[in-house]
Amino acid sequence: MTRLGLLVLVTLLTASVALAEGPIDKRLSEGQVLRGEFTQERHLQGFANSLRSEGKFVLAPGYGLIWQTEKPFAITTVITAAGLAQEVNGNQTLKLEAAKLPFLNQLYDMLSGALTGDWTKLETSFSVARSGDDQHWQVALRPRKADDPGMPFQAIDVTGSQFVDELQLKKPDGDFDRLDFYDQAISDQPLTEAEAAAFATTAP
Amino acid sequence: MTRVVALLWLVLVVTAALYLGFRLHGGLAFRTDLLALLPREAQDPAAQHADDVVTDALSRQVMIMVGDRDRGLVRAAATAITGVLTQSKLAELTTDSFGKDRLRRIGELYFPYRRGLLSAADRQLLLDGKPEAISTKALSQVFGLVGMADAKLLQRDPYLLLPAFLTGLPVPLSRLSLDHGLLALQDGDTYWVLLAGQISGDPYGLAFQAALTGALDNAVAAQREAHPDLQILRLGAVFFAKAGAEQAMGETSKIGLVSILGTVLLVLFVFRAARPLGLTLLAIGVGALISLSACLFLFDDLHVMSLLFGVSLIGVAVDYSLQYLSEIFAAEGGTPRERLRRVWVGITLATATVAIGYVTLFLAPFPGLHQIAALAAIGLVASWATVVLWLPALDHSRRPRHGDRVLAWAGSLLSLWQAPRPGWLRWSAPALLLLIAGGGLMQAHPDDDVRRMQSLSGPLMAEQERIQQLAGAAGSAQFFLVEAKDDEAALQTEETLIDRLRPLLAQGALAGFQAPAQYVPSVARQRQNREMVRRELDGPILTEHLRQLGLEQVEPPPAEDTPFLTLAETAAKDGPLRFLSPLLLQSGQGALHVVKLDGVVRPGALTTAAAGLPGVRMIDPAGDFSRLLGKYRNRALSLLALSATLMTPLLLWRYGWRGAPRVIAPPLLAVLLAPALRGWFGASFTFFDGMALVLVLSIGVDYSIFLAETSSQRQRVTMLAVVMAAATTLLSFGLLALSSVQAVHAFGTTMLIGILLAFLFSPLALAVRHPAGEDR
Repeated sequence: MTRLGLLVLVTLLTASVALAEGPIDKRLSEGQVLRGEFTQERHLQGFANSLRSEGKFVLAPGYGLIWQTEKPFAITTVITAAGLAQEVNGNQTLKLEAAKLPFLNQLYDMLSGALTGDWTKLETSFSVARSGDDQHWQVALRPRKADDPGMPFQAIDVTGSQFVDELQLKKPDGDFDRLDFYDQAISDQPLTEAEAAAFATTAP
Repeated sequence: MTRVVALLWLVLVVTAALYLGFRLHGGLAFRTDLLALLPREAQDPAAQHADDVVTDALSRQVMIMVGDRDRGLVRAAATAITGVLTQSKLAELTTDSFGKDRLRRIGELYFPYRRGLLSAADRQLLLDGKPEAISTKALSQVFGLVGMADAKLLQRDPYLLLPAFLTGLPVPLSRLSLDHGLLALQDGDTYWVLLAGQISGDPYGLAFQAALTGALDNAVAAQREAHPDLQILRLGAVFFAKAGAEQAMGETSKIGLVSILGTVLLVLFVFRAARPLGLTLLAIGVGALISLSACLFLFDDLHVMSLLFGVSLIGVAVDYSLQYLSEIFAAEGGTPRERLRRVWVGITLATATVAIGYVTLFLAPFPGLHQIAALAAIGLVASWATVVLWLPALDHSRRPRHGDRVLAWAGSLLSLWQAPRPGWLRWSAPALLLLIAGGGLMQAHPDDDVRRMQSLSGPLMAEQERIQQLAGAAGSAQFFLVEAKDDEAALQTEETLIDRLRPLLAQGALAGFQAPAQYVPSVARQRQNREMVRRELDGPILTEHLRQLGLEQVEPPPAEDTPFLTLAETAAKDGPLRFLSPLLLQSGQGALHVVKLDGVVRPGALTTAAAGLPGVRMIDPAGDFSRLLGKYRNRALSLLALSATLMTPLLLWRYGWRGAPRVIAPPLLAVLLAPALRGWFGASFTFFDGMALVLVLSIGVDYSIFLAETSSQRQRVTMLAVVMAAATTLLSFGLLALSSVQAVHAFGTTMLIGILLAFLFSPLALAVRHPAGEDR
C-alpha cells in the first residue's frame, strides 16, 4: 500500500506542469530538468508532533526522479526505469530491481505518462475533479471504490499554480501526509555529475 | 475325460469374460506413473517416509503462468482461469496466498513473540555491535519517500524489527513479487502472472488428468478467443503424466494393431485358409481375456505400461497354436487329436519354461513388473490350455495342397545348418562369436540414470524451463532431512545448516531453500535474540531513537518471561502458515524436518555443507532411484542365471546330459551376443536390457525345445512353426524398439536382437533326439 502512495505522489509531482493545463510549451520535455525543494509532514495518530523532513528533488524525463531528504538526516531515493535505490547517510539500505517488481514498471510508466499529460492510469483508480484557473488550480482525487481494502487513501488534494504547490494524502485511519513544494524551476542545462551518478545507482 | 476338462475350461473362460465385462462396465482405473514400476526398497523408513511425503506434495503441485504485454488483460485472464479451476474443485490455486488477509494473520501470529524474532540482517548488525544502524534504517523508513509509517506499529515496535523479519521470510519463487494480490513479474515488455497451487486429485489417475486438463484447456481457449496472443505456460507432474500416458496408450494401440495385423497376414499367407486364422485368434483372445480379468482381480488397477508390455505377449501366445496348426502340413497328416499328440510335449515344455521366465520376474520387487509377469504368465498358460483343450475339437482342416511348397521353403532355412561343414568352421565360428561377444560386452557400459529412462514431452519440458527461468526456480526433487530428538534440537541444527547454505545462495549453488527454522527460530535462538535486543536496543539509544521519531511514549515491550513461539502453533492446520506442515513429518519418535531446496545447481556443494551436522541427510529421490536401478540391473543378471538354473533340471530330465546343453546353447548364445552387439553400437546396458534378456532366454529356449522334440521326418514342419513363432514374437516385442520411452526402447531392442539370434541358432538343437548318425 505504500507502493500505491508512492505511485500517486510521483505521478502528481511529475504531472504538475500538465495539471496546470497551461500552454504546451510549459510541459517538461526530454532534455529538460525540473528541480525544486520540498517539505514533508507526516501526521500520525499518537505522535505529539508531525514527522517533518525536507530536502530537494530532481525530475528528469528519460532518467527518473531523485528524492533527496536532507533533514533530519540524509536519505536519497532514486527511481528510474531500472528500479529503485535508497541510501541513508551514504549507505545503500534498499535496492529494488524493476525486472522483479512489476509495480515499479507501472510507476515508471505513469511517471513518463504524466510528464506528457497522460492521466489515464491514475484515472482507473481515482475520480479526478479539477477546479480553479491556470494561475491557481485545485485537483481532488477520490478512490473509485471507497471500501477497497487495497486502497490506502481516503482523499488526495492537490493545489498548484505554475507547478504543484501542495499535496495532501489522507489515510482512512486519520493519518495524513502533507507535502509542500517551492523554488521549482525548469532548466535546460544537462544533469550535474552528482545527479547522473545518483541515477546510475539503480542500475542492476 | 478331455471333454470334461474342455467343458470346465469353457466355464472358467465364460466366468472370466463375465467378470471382465462387469469391471469394464464399472470403468477401469489405469495407473500412469512410471515410478510405480520402479522398485520400492525401504532401506531407511524415515528417508522413505520423507521421500513419499515430499514426492507426493511435489507431484500435486501445479503452476500456470499467464503472460501478455497488457497487464490488465493478463490479470483478468489469470483470474478467470483460477475461477474455472477453483469452482470445479479440480485445483486449489492460491492467488491470494500473499493477500492482505493472509499477511495480516501472519503478522498477528508473530506479533506477541516479536522480541525474539530478528531478520538475518538485523541479527548480524546486533552481533556486530551496530545497533545505531538499525535505528537509522527504521528512521529512513519513516522519513523517506519509500517506507511505512504506521503509528500503532511504531509505538509497539519502534525499530520496525518485525516488518524486517517478515520481509526476510523465504519466498520460494525469487523473481516474483506481489502486485495487487497476484504474484507477478515483468520480463521485457511482457507482464506475467503466476498461478500456483495444488491439484485436488491423483496426478496419475487418467480420469482426473482428463478432467483437469480439459477444464484448463477450455478456460485457456475461452481467453484466447478474445486475445489470441495470450501466452500460457504450465508446469506440474500431472501434465507430464498425462502426456506420458497418452504416449503409452498411443503406442500400445499402434503396436498392438501392427502386431495383430502382422500375425493375421502371416497366418493367412502360410495357411491360405480362414479356419487356422480363426483358431489362432481364439487362442490369443482367450489368453488376453483370462489374463486381463485375472490381473484386474489380483491388482485392482492396471498400469498403462503393463498393458504396453502385455500387448507384446500376443506374439508369444500365438506360438502354441502355430505349433499345432503347422502339423497340418506334416506328411503323415492324421486326425486333429493325432496331430496334437505329436506336438503336445513340445508346447507343454515350452509353456513351462516361458512361465518360469516370467515367474522369475516376480522375484524382483517391482510392482509394475509383478503385473507384467502375472499378465504374461496367466495369458500364456490360458493360450496353451485353449490350444490343448479346444483346438483339436474345433479343427476340421485337411492337409492343404500348397503344403509341400511351404515345407520346402522352411526346409531351405534348415539346409544352411545341415550342409556339411568344413572342419575349420567348427572351431572358428564359435571362436569368432566369442570374440564378438567378449569385445561387445567390454564396451557395454551400464547406465542407471532414471531421468534418461523416462521420455518427457518436449513442449512441456520447454514450458517448464521457461517457467523456471521466469520465476526463479520452481522446486527441486532434492531436499535435506533433519532428524533430531525433538523439535528444538532439529531447529537448532537447521540454524547451523542455514548459516552454511547462505553463502551457497550467493555462489549460485542453489536458488533458494525453506527450512522450518526460518519461520520459527529455536527457543535458544529466540532467547538469545531477546537478550541482544534488550542489551543493545533498549538503553539510551532507544531514548534518542524515540526523540528523532518525535514519539513521547511507546507501549512497554512484552515481558521477558513471555512464552516463546513454538513450531506447533506456527504450523497449525488452519493457520496462515499451514504450508509449513508438509515440512514437519511424523516419525513416531523425535522430530523429522524437511528443508526444501529450490533450483539445485551443484548438489555436491550442498552435501558438503551438511557434512558433520548430526542427523542431516541430503535426499535425492532421482539419485536413489538410479542407485536402485543399478542394483537391480545386477539383480536382473542374477535372475537370468537363476532362470537358466531352474530350466536345467527340466531339460536334463528330457534330453539327458548330452542333449540338454544343445537345447540351452542357442538361447544362451543369444543372451550373450545381444548385449554385446548393442555394446558395439554404443548402447548402454540398463536394468531393462537385463529384464529383456531373462525373456530372451525363456522364449528362445522354446524354439530349441520345438526343434529338439521333432523327428527328422517332421523337422521341416517344426521349422515352419518356429519361423512363424519367431516372426510373431519379433512383430510384437521387436516393435517395442520403436517406443520413444527410453526404457521400453531398450527393452524392445534387446528383445529384437536376442530373439532373432535365438531363432538363428535354434537348429543347433535339432540333433538332440536323433544323434548325428541317424540324421541322414
